[in-house]
Amino acid sequence: MPKDVALAVVDGDPEAYETDNVHIIYDEIASHFSSTRYKPWPIIANFLDNLPTGWVGLDAGTGNGKYLSLPANRPGDLWTIGMDRSLNLLKIAKQAGGTNTLRELVLGNVLHNCWRAGAFDYAISIATIHHLSTEERRILAIQRLLEAVSPNYGRVLIYVWAIEQDELSKRRVPTSGNVTTGKDVMVPWVQQPALNSVSHDAQQRVHNRYYHMFAKGELQSLVRQAADNLQLEVGAVPENGKLGRRGIEIVQDGWERSNYYTELRCWKCS
Amino acid sequence: MVRLITHNLLACHVKGCTSNNFPLQFQDVSIEIREAEFNPDFLRGFIPKIEWKALVDTARQLGDTSLPLEPPEMLDDEFLKNLHHVLLEVHVEEGAMICPNCNHRYPISNGIPNMLLAEHEIA
Repeated sequence: MPKDVALAVVDGDPEAYETDNVHIIYDEIASHFSSTRYKPWPIIANFLDNLPTGWVGLDAGTGNGKYLSLPANRPGDLWTIGMDRSLNLLKIAKQAGGTNTLRELVLGNVLHNCWRAGAFDYAISIATIHHLSTEERRILAIQRLLEAVSPNYGRVLIYVWAIEQDELSKRRVPTSGNVTTGKDVMVPWVQQPALNSVSHDAQQRVHNRYYHMFAKGELQSLVRQAADNLQLEVGAVPENGKLGRRGIEIVQDGWERSNYYTELRCWKCS
Repeated sequence: MVRLITHNLLACHVKGCTSNNFPLQFQDVSIEIREAEFNPDFLRGFIPKIEWKALVDTARQLGDTSLPLEPPEMLDDEFLKNLHHVLLEVHVEEGAMICPNCNHRYPISNGIPNMLLAEHEIA
């Protein structure tokens, strides 16, 4: 039976709140967390499979780096550089993919901008933006992705957890009525005692992580605000558009296995 | 890891540091060379996006003079192998990267660069 998650009250400085309720916890649970995260989501794998050889991308919030070794059927045709706030997860991500290939990793913040503008061909941010504790910060994270990729053709894929969880989910978000805004919740991470623990009273430890669970349509609304802040139009490339007009097209937008996702493509009239 | 492929994409992001903030300058580095699988198709696709001068200058600072000052018209195997080595086989394990404009120091430890800044250092 899925359990209701507890609602969270975000207060104080959002940076400090996220440090206490997200970053510290990932550093503590890194190795157990990583052992449960190995299967790439089909839509993400498919997105990466279809990118041209020679493209370089950013994985903002890479965690244990499970997307860095894709596409699996033509390894080395893309280079995805992983960025995360958790040094302990990055240490695990170094070996992601299990081959002898080491991954490229950067300790960094998805709200900051440590890349030359438009340097990447693509960017992905999977299960990351939902850990930011204000709407303003969630929008800023999307802006950073759009700034990191080429304004002419850059591709972006974003995944966040949805209020609407599927039947396999271990959790349920308590809601009432028509849900139009997301919910701030605490999701427990139960750390099992080590299997070889000699002590009989080895306790399970529970770590509560902050999540903003997205409502339907919310991700797309944030994308539109991020585009607006960067003075980008939202829509298909206009035919015979005026030179220099810039925008993003929403290529796909949907729900998959308890997550909302959106895929964007940048364009510029030339 | 900080290989030159990543170094070629990083820029300083300290508040107000918006010009001459690339490329970051390596300082006190220790380097390891590790073989990587040669993929000429990847390199051909990536070449147009490289900031070439930054790559060549940085490679020379690290003691590798195999790359020409301008990318060649003909991408022969010898050139591609040199480029492969510079981009993907030279690992900067320890040291730092310094912004040429504001002198901010980004430390590198165990091959992972720390690009975090405090909130007040951010634009």
